[in-house]
Amino acid sequence: MAFIEVENLSKTYTLRKKRAGHFTREKSQVKALDAMCFQVEKGEILGYIGPNGAGKSTTVKLLCGILTPESGSARVNGLIPWKDRKIHARQIGVVFGQRSQLWWDVPVIDSYQLLRDIYRVPEAQFTARLQELTGALGLAELLNTPLRLLSLGQRMRAELGGSLLHSPKLLFLDEPTIGLDAVSKLQLRDFLLHENQAHGTTIMLTTHDMEDISALCRRVLVLGHGKKLFDGALPDLLAKYDTQRVITLRYADGRGLPELPDHCLVSQDGQDHRIVYSPDHLPTAQLMAALQTAGPIQELTVQSQSIDHLIAAMYREMDL
Amino acid sequence: MKAYLSTFVMRWKMELQYRGAVIGGVVCQIFFGLILVSLYGALYRSKPQNLPLEAVASYVWLQQAFFRMLLSTDGELLDKIRTGGIAYELCRPIHLYGFYYARMLAQKLLGSLLRAAPMLAVALLLPRGMGLMAPVSLAALTVSVLGLLLGLLCVCALENITMALTMRTLDHRGVMAMLNLLMMFLAGNILPLTLFPDSWQRVITLLPYAQLLDTPIRIYTGQYALAQAPQALLIQLVWIILLVALGEWLWARHQKRLIIQGG
Ligand SMILES: Nc1ncnc2c1ncn2[C@@H]1O[C@H](COP(=O)(O)OP(=O)(O)O)[C@@H](O)[C@H]1O
Ligand SMILES: [Mg+2]
Repeated sequence: MAFIEVENLSKTYTLRKKRAGHFTREKSQVKALDAMCFQVEKGEILGYIGPNGAGKSTTVKLLCGILTPESGSARVNGLIPWKDRKIHARQIGVVFGQRSQLWWDVPVIDSYQLLRDIYRVPEAQFTARLQELTGALGLAELLNTPLRLLSLGQRMRAELGGSLLHSPKLLFLDEPTIGLDAVSKLQLRDFLLHENQAHGTTIMLTTHDMEDISALCRRVLVLGHGKKLFDGALPDLLAKYDTQRVITLRYADGRGLPELPDHCLVSQDGQDHRIVYSPDHLPTAQLMAALQTAGPIQELTVQSQSIDHLIAAMYREMDL
Repeated sequence: MKAYLSTFVMRWKMELQYRGAVIGGVVCQIFFGLILVSLYGALYRSKPQNLPLEAVASYVWLQQAFFRMLLSTDGELLDKIRTGGIAYELCRPIHLYGFYYARMLAQKLLGSLLRAAPMLAVALLLPRGMGLMAPVSLAALTVSVLGLLLGLLCVCALENITMALTMRTLDHRGVMAMLNLLMMFLAGNILPLTLFPDSWQRVITLLPYAQLLDTPIRIYTGQYALAQAPQALLIQLVWIILLVALGEWLWARHQKRLIIQGG
């Protein structure tokens, strides 16, 4: 049996809308999750992606035991989250990127000690774990500071530490890097990889940051409108949409581009030229030859489209 | 159990951070207290009542001193419910009701102790008929403190019910304002319950709101003789059990249908 097993899981929200000027209430239903199925093995890192409103957070809430589904089943390590909520709670850790679990006005360490008591972590184990997390997340100078005085990056580190104090087997991260700067993001990724490798922690990550995904997840699951659209390796997903290349070049004398074949999208930034083309329609060698005959080239790079472009193209094609 | 105790300590620490707000509250409450006792003094001079004036003045001061035990809501907790921060609490291996109960207990206990101490000191110094009288006996004082603690347990149970109702409506202000007004009136904060007509008192003193402050105050001032005290405390106890049971039931029911806001 897999560590996480989700079968035909569905959740519908009922919205009661108040119409202005009337006391009548309209009901509308949102199918947030529609017969979702997937499995996750122990120690895997799953990237769970999809556009806003796809149903990612709903899935996380269901698997945490916070929400009860309309139909379908889910088991995490043999437990049904919403039925065995309290026992299940001990084996999971959660980070909701836009919320805080630590107390605002008191030093971080006080919140940690409360969490220690809530999860009944033995003192020796707590001390060792705190030391490990303090080192790995750089918490030393944060622990005695009230949460409200921390920067967003520091706060996220502190939050993550709080979610892992009880050494959960499974970690849910719902948009953890939202609003973080580059350094903080890199730190966070390194830490998550370490946690995953050192403790075999299974991780389920939702994010809009594709670099998070490519740095952390070998496997991604794409969903839209509550339905599963893709489940597999990230390179396989990208290969399907990775049909374009981008050439950036500059001529030694700063001259302009020559006349180019059709199917090229050209733009300019100072003396740098950017050409987007599709090798299927225009072989790279042919394009290169045309560029080279025009004059001596000082600099040239060939790249894939950014991963964000690929995902945007994918969402477009999937009609999301 | 340790989880709830730690939560209590945590909320206590948080409340200590707001010491500054205490001074404003104390000044305001003393001001109200002075106006009320002056008013009752004038009333008694023109139209004496059979209840001694010292008892009424003491009632007023004790109500003012423990005002924060009745009227204090945990804004942070309400925000959590409204914005979905409660999601974290639901991911914990704890009993939600107990967790909130511990928070409220800490807030109400510390919040009222910090204010009551300076206020009662002032009220004890005021002249007879305006200030707080000494308790009728040491035994009465002891029993009234016990009654006050039971009142505290009772008010936390009530507050938890309000909170559970809030989870249904999301917009708590309307429901809460109404329930609070009802509480202030029936708890004797607006007008001492001892001044209500006897036939009213017979009913009102049995209601849950009278268990909060009215009962301990009556024991303190001697309106309830010591012999009556066990019965009064028993009524408090019965209400605590009923209200906790109701609150628990409401929370359990809501939790099943709970929808957490925000993604
Ligand atoms: N509490 C709620 N009440 C009503 N509808 C909701 C609620 N939470 C989410 N939804 C709806 O369910 C859908 C999925 O939401 P969510 O799981 O938060 O998406 P994601 O996290 O992928 O952005 C959205 O259409 C959203 O509007
Ligand atoms: Mg979301």
